[in-house]
Amino acid sequence: MESSNRLLLLAATLCATVMLTGCASFRWPWSKDKAVEQQQTEEQAAAEEAAEEADTTPPRVIEPNVARRKIKTPKIDNENWEIGVGAGFLSIEDFGTNPTYAGQVTYHVTEDFFFRADLGQSTAGRTSFENLGGDIELLTGDERRFTYYSLSLGYNFLPGEVFLGRDTAMNSSFYVLVGIGSVDFAGDDRLTLNFGAGYRVLPTDWLAISLGVQDRVFDSDLLGESKLTNNIEMLLSATVFF
Amino acid sequence: MEPSITTTRSRQLRRISLALALVFACSLSATALAKETEAEKAARQAAAQEKLLQVFVSDPYLELSTGPGRGYPVFRVVERDASVDVLYRRTDWFKVRDEHGVEGWARARDMRRTKLADGTPFVFNLGDRDGFTSHDWEIGIGGGDYGGANLISAYGAFSLTDNMKVDLTLSQFLGNASNGYKAELGITHVIVPEWRLSPFLELGTGVVHIQPRRTIVLPNDRTDQTAYVGAGLRFYLTRRFFVRADYRWHTVFTSRDDNEELEEWKVLIACFF
Repeated sequence: MESSNRLLLLAATLCATVMLTGCASFRWPWSKDKAVEQQQTEEQAAAEEAAEEADTTPPRVIEPNVARRKIKTPKIDNENWEIGVGAGFLSIEDFGTNPTYAGQVTYHVTEDFFFRADLGQSTAGRTSFENLGGDIELLTGDERRFTYYSLSLGYNFLPGEVFLGRDTAMNSSFYVLVGIGSVDFAGDDRLTLNFGAGYRVLPTDWLAISLGVQDRVFDSDLLGESKLTNNIEMLLSATVFF
Repeated sequence: MEPSITTTRSRQLRRISLALALVFACSLSATALAKETEAEKAARQAAAQEKLLQVFVSDPYLELSTGPGRGYPVFRVVERDASVDVLYRRTDWFKVRDEHGVEGWARARDMRRTKLADGTPFVFNLGDRDGFTSHDWEIGIGGGDYGGANLISAYGAFSLTDNMKVDLTLSQFLGNASNGYKAELGITHVIVPEWRLSPFLELGTGVVHIQPRRTIVLPNDRTDQTAYVGAGLRFYLTRRFFVRADYRWHTVFTSRDDNEELEEWKVLIACFF
């Protein structure tokens, strides 16, 4: 009996030791095992890391085989310059009306406004004073040459179309311009103010035919007293865009 | 001696054959020329085709006008996703050709909303404030005063950077004592190009040709070198226009003992592109 008691006590002590000290090999069914918890959190972290990795570098299921097209933009030609020649008549005050020839360069800034440079030459005729006075010559041959240039700012208005017959329509517009320049006449240079208006027709997009009238005003003292002279020019010109 | 009938005939025949040969040669060469020009034309067109920029309409439609201006009527529309080839540009209008070969003018504002073949928007410079700050070229005309004489002036400038420009000024001056021409090459430094009213400094050199007026007794015409420093203001108006006013202080290196000092001021209306 003694030995059985001793066995019982031993078993009870063993059980108490195991249960009360919280041996790792024993656990209560309601208690949460820290090791398991730790293992779980480790697993979660690993999963999260994996997910993060998946976000940054997706699994290469399909290799992208799309080459982006490279567009080389060609330079677009700007056709704002216009150059041409013209012929017409210039009425030089007191010196009659004479043929004149001119060249012009235009830069179109907008559809409305343009800059224009004119360079022309004419030859003055005889004044009535010279005609009536017999042998009097006011100016020598060289001095009769009337060379002028002007720098103007112009404005296009009333754009429209003109119709030639049934099948042809050509663009057209009116313009006005004002500018300053100079004239070399009678051995002297003079400052001129010029203003005028014209009408132009474009048979094609690169060719313009225009008829313009300009008044070139300058101060002249050729015939005694100083006075403002008006020199009206009418010019028919053909210009091309480039 | 009268020529025999046979000789006359043979002469006539020779003439006719000669004429025929000539006509034949002419026609041959003409056709050859025509063929050549056709071939050339085709080649040119092909070359042009390669170089043309193709843009796609992303708006519901793109209007084409008969001319490069507000007043010209719209005669055709190109629908969304269709393409047009850009031929060239005049002011704020583009000459384009659609897929059916019809050519017309499209306004820059509408072209700004088209897309290139890779889907990126079609960008190009417009005449606006940004263009005033940053552009390649500018030209202008105007007038002023040069040492008491009336001055007519035209200038052109090329932008090295937004701040730095190389400019060439050609002027004529008309005074009571003398007339003359001058040409100057200089450098302009725009201090703050972003500002609408923007100051600048300039420095340059050139030549001046002075012709004393014949009423005044003076030595003959003379050509001297000149140098200047100056300052001025640029003011953006609208579209591509601005006003440029400046003051230049010139030193004319004369052949006399003393150099001549001249003041110049002028106002120009200018545009950039």
